[in-house]
Amino acid sequence: MMAVSLEGVTKTYGAQRALDSLTLGLSEGQVTGVLGPNGAGKSTLFKAIVGLVRPDKGNIKVLGSKPSWQVNQQVAYLSDQCRWYGSHTVRQAITYAAAVFPLFNTERAEKLVDFMNLDRQATVQTLSKGQEARLKLIICLARDVRLLLLDEPFSGIDLVSREKIIQGLIESFAERKQTIVISTHEIQQAESLFDQVIFIDLGQVVLSGDAETLRQEKGSVESIYRGLFQ
Amino acid sequence: MEEIKAGGITFTLDLSKPLWEQVLHQIRGALARSDLQPGEKIPSLRDLAQQLKINPNTVMRAYQELERDGLTETRRGQGTFITSSQQKISEVRNLLAEDAVKAFVQEMRVLGLRKPEADNLLEEAKWE
Repeated sequence: MMAVSLEGVTKTYGAQRALDSLTLGLSEGQVTGVLGPNGAGKSTLFKAIVGLVRPDKGNIKVLGSKPSWQVNQQVAYLSDQCRWYGSHTVRQAITYAAAVFPLFNTERAEKLVDFMNLDRQATVQTLSKGQEARLKLIICLARDVRLLLLDEPFSGIDLVSREKIIQGLIESFAERKQTIVISTHEIQQAESLFDQVIFIDLGQVVLSGDAETLRQEKGSVESIYRGLFQ
Repeated sequence: MEEIKAGGITFTLDLSKPLWEQVLHQIRGALARSDLQPGEKIPSLRDLAQQLKINPNTVMRAYQELERDGLTETRRGQGTFITSSQQKISEVRNLLAEDAVKAFVQEMRVLGLRKPEADNLLEEAKWE
């Protein structure tokens, strides 16, 4: 079963093709790693799935329908550029998120705040980049949605925060099976989380498959990445 | 590669090989060496995934295989336990020993040795 499928999706910005007749499927209940160099089209892919980018050509199905705000109730999307309100404390951020996001589970959010070691009184502007990244992830993970899209959840984040985020993801995934899609450059640290891997370049899929099968046939996901893009 | 201890078992995972097989082999090894005792409880799926920082599906695949081989049993609401059957444990030990012998024979053949020469070497090998 595919949670998301794209068929021949093309998106151009001026002369540049961000997505070039892209065809792929994201399996339901699995963790998929979307990997590729900067400018490969990863962020555009995520934006197309949530309907922030309208393709010039092709079809997208998300949980059985076209991208729309209705479907997005079942989608938690961590954008590579999202920021939280600086004056909110962690506690206020959770209360606010509970008010604005559909299917927000406050009890889970509270558990994750403890699990990821965040101070509830701290205001967002005093948090380190890593702590803010933890908060943003908590807000995504606390939603009882079917699809979780995480664009670069580890980028520019210290080692401890990265480990906390990985633990938070494992905890969440062990609790209930969601479809999780992660784009990252921190392949070595993240690859043990993936069920499936999709390598993208110039808006097209270069290679995809089951992570364990790829390891069996070609070695670590990181070494495959080097081989493809070096 | 980092060594990780979890519930009496030492794991080292190599990202260039399938992870579920390594988890499976390393638990079997711990059983054969008696690092794990018959009837002993092993970490829950979630705890092991957490400690090894791997996808819970990967641990599940290894645990399912152990259960299928009769090496573990899952008791509802209590967790997963090593079999109390000594016979099953001896079987694993024998299987692992056979694998080690096969690997030894293969190495000797690569080095161009024949059976009598290898037998002599084995005869002379120090066990203490």
